[in-house]
Amino acid sequence: MGLESYLPETGVVTTTLESVVNWSRKNSVWPLLFGLACCAIEMITTGTSRHDIARFGSELFRASPRQADLMIVAGRVSNKMAPAIKRLYDEMAEPKWVIAMGICATAGGPFNNYAIVQGVDKIIPVDVYAPGCPPRPEALLYALTKLQEKIDREHLRDHYPQAQPEKTEAGVYVANTADLPPLP
Amino acid sequence: MTDPIAAVRQAFPDALLATEEAFGSPVITIKPESLLEVGRFLRDDPELNYDLLSSLTVVDRLKLPDYNASEARFVGVYHLRSVARDGDLLEIKTPLPGGDEPVAPSVTGIWPAANWHEREAYDLMGVTYDGHPDLRRILLPNDWSGHPLRKDMPLGGERVPFTVTWDDEEFKHLGKQIMQPEQRLEPVPAGMDPKHMILNMGPQHPSTHGVLRLIVELDGERVKNVEPDIGYLHSGFEKQAENVRYKDFVYYTDRMDYVSAMQNNLSYCVAVEKMLGIEVPDRAQTIRVIMAELQRIASHLVWLGTHALDVSGTGHALLMYAFREREEIMDLFEMACGARLTTSYMRIGGVSDDLPPAFIPRMLEFLDMMDKRLVEYEEMLDENPLWRKRLQGIGYLSKKDAIAMGVTGPMLRGSGVKYDLRRARPYCGYEKYDFEIPTSDLGDSYGRYLVRMAEMKQSVRILRQAAAMLPEGDYLLDDPKITPPNRDLLDQSMEALIRHFKLFTEGLTPAPGEVYRGIEASKGEMGFYIVSDGGAHPYRMHIRTPSFANLQSISMMSKGHLLSDVVVVIGTIDIVLGDVDR
Ligand code: SF4
Repeated sequence: MGLESYLPETGVVTTTLESVVNWSRKNSVWPLLFGLACCAIEMITTGTSRHDIARFGSELFRASPRQADLMIVAGRVSNKMAPAIKRLYDEMAEPKWVIAMGICATAGGPFNNYAIVQGVDKIIPVDVYAPGCPPRPEALLYALTKLQEKIDREHLRDHYPQAQPEKTEAGVYVANTADLPPLP
Repeated sequence: MTDPIAAVRQAFPDALLATEEAFGSPVITIKPESLLEVGRFLRDDPELNYDLLSSLTVVDRLKLPDYNASEARFVGVYHLRSVARDGDLLEIKTPLPGGDEPVAPSVTGIWPAANWHEREAYDLMGVTYDGHPDLRRILLPNDWSGHPLRKDMPLGGERVPFTVTWDDEEFKHLGKQIMQPEQRLEPVPAGMDPKHMILNMGPQHPSTHGVLRLIVELDGERVKNVEPDIGYLHSGFEKQAENVRYKDFVYYTDRMDYVSAMQNNLSYCVAVEKMLGIEVPDRAQTIRVIMAELQRIASHLVWLGTHALDVSGTGHALLMYAFREREEIMDLFEMACGARLTTSYMRIGGVSDDLPPAFIPRMLEFLDMMDKRLVEYEEMLDENPLWRKRLQGIGYLSKKDAIAMGVTGPMLRGSGVKYDLRRARPYCGYEKYDFEIPTSDLGDSYGRYLVRMAEMKQSVRILRQAAAMLPEGDYLLDDPKITPPNRDLLDQSMEALIRHFKLFTEGLTPAPGEVYRGIEASKGEMGFYIVSDGGAHPYRMHIRTPSFANLQSISMMSKGHLLSDVVVVIGTIDIVLGDVDR
């Protein structure tokens, strides 16, 4: 059976909050539904039956940036498109990640000219670069697993850098909630 | 045989400046003042009937060796075809007055298709078209300065650093070339009434098939007007072409219409070969036909899958099916050249490698499967009430409008015009194959659906014939000036080594001149206009892409329909933004 068979008799497991959160986050990375150029076709292919990105929990391509965790920049970024990409990225809710798919998104690729931004990392931070022109679907899946590894290593407070834990008199660390942004 | 040169000479003896013959098609140079009357004559004369404006572009002569400053710097170039006379091609050239700020009369009144082409020339070359209804930038952002295709503009881009440090020059400009989003807030487009609802769609939208942006004017749910905003994927192909050698541009062509890379390769190679005056070996021709037709099926499958997905929720299954079949084609491509999507399989003079022995049997297996699958698709869709309701009567384009808007390919045939360059102007030996040109008189999205489905069947038919007639022989021309020697010879023969070295350092150099060749790609006429100055790089290259011309009619096709039908219209045009924006 599944998870249940690993549970001890009592049904109690001890773990850290961080690993549970990371575990759930990394297995449900929903990409933003948008493609730019040739690489986007390989991205779509990754989503279809043969390669089946659902095996990695990322089959739900969301059309709204508000619902997406991952931006796969699939293709070349033109000067005209760059502000739109920046805005889409800003509209995505934290935590969010970016894969630069293909050599164009990575570094401009064969188009070192007036029209193309030489790498999407000039406008948004990139977590994983997938080389190729275009990367095969397998390569994109590999990039995705790399991203999952990265997510697994993340710390919750990385996303809330203001919340530095303070040591109390009793020697216990508690988060300084005063600095935290209010809960939604 | 109608002779356009003689006809123009007779009707306008004073307007003609020069006539010539460029690789089999007539070229006439006329005075700019007479452009409109000659144009009208060429279109309306029942004998000539040049009703389809294939492409319109401008050449900057500044750096040509024979240019002197007393002549006009910019030359307008128009490629006309006559649909009724099997796509007979005529090139008109006209020197544009105005020196560095050239002005030309707008031909939109004669061929409405010129609208976007002229805006493109205005945007990239800085030519002002007198009498154009709406002259503004089309591909580049509105606040761009300069016109990148002019010869005195540099290619642009950045020096690529190999070790990046924060002190590097490039970080000084970090993000500066990017405009802030708020800078881009635009007023309501001209011709739209702010009383109505103005809706922005794209450039990130699930149904715009890429980075297309539409500004839609709505009265309730009814579409009043649609204004496409393109250029979000403008990658400077034409400028890039002027900076790479002929053989190196093959790899770029893949990246335009990236769902039919093979056909882009083919279109480019055919044009350059024409220029060089070479004949490609028979085996290579047949291999090319095989690849082009496989690609046509693959491209139509992408269209079918995404179109069905857009139209109805049940379409998701069809997307999966279509891509399943497409994967088989990708496998075949991979067998032949190692790449799936950006194949670069065609070379000037042939193809890059011979077909592996397992290719043909595997392809025949695929064709047998495809026969059955096509029937399955039709069973799913033909009588499907949802499919019919969403497609029938939507996006109607009459025969006349289709030609006037310069629409080609399945779009034109869906409006009942039996016109296909494979038949009208055969290349690669298409005249040897027995196939039909499917058309539909419906003129709506459903008609175009029928046409594309039938086209896939015809492609299967052509492929079977090609497999049967595939001759033995060379897959690449053996010409020391054009193609590299056989790889094995490099270890043995000094001569071969020199030939290889020369070709890869200098490249090939066609004689000065110009050529325009169009082929029937999956989406319509894909044509390359190349000007050579005798050097190893093209002097000027203009690419006539089918999606650009076809997309222009979107406004005409969606007016009066509901907003949700705009999505159907986008799907039925079958655009690829790499092809639109170049
Ligand atoms: S990396 Fe290659 S395949 Fe991807 S968008 Fe760029 S040119 Fe196209």
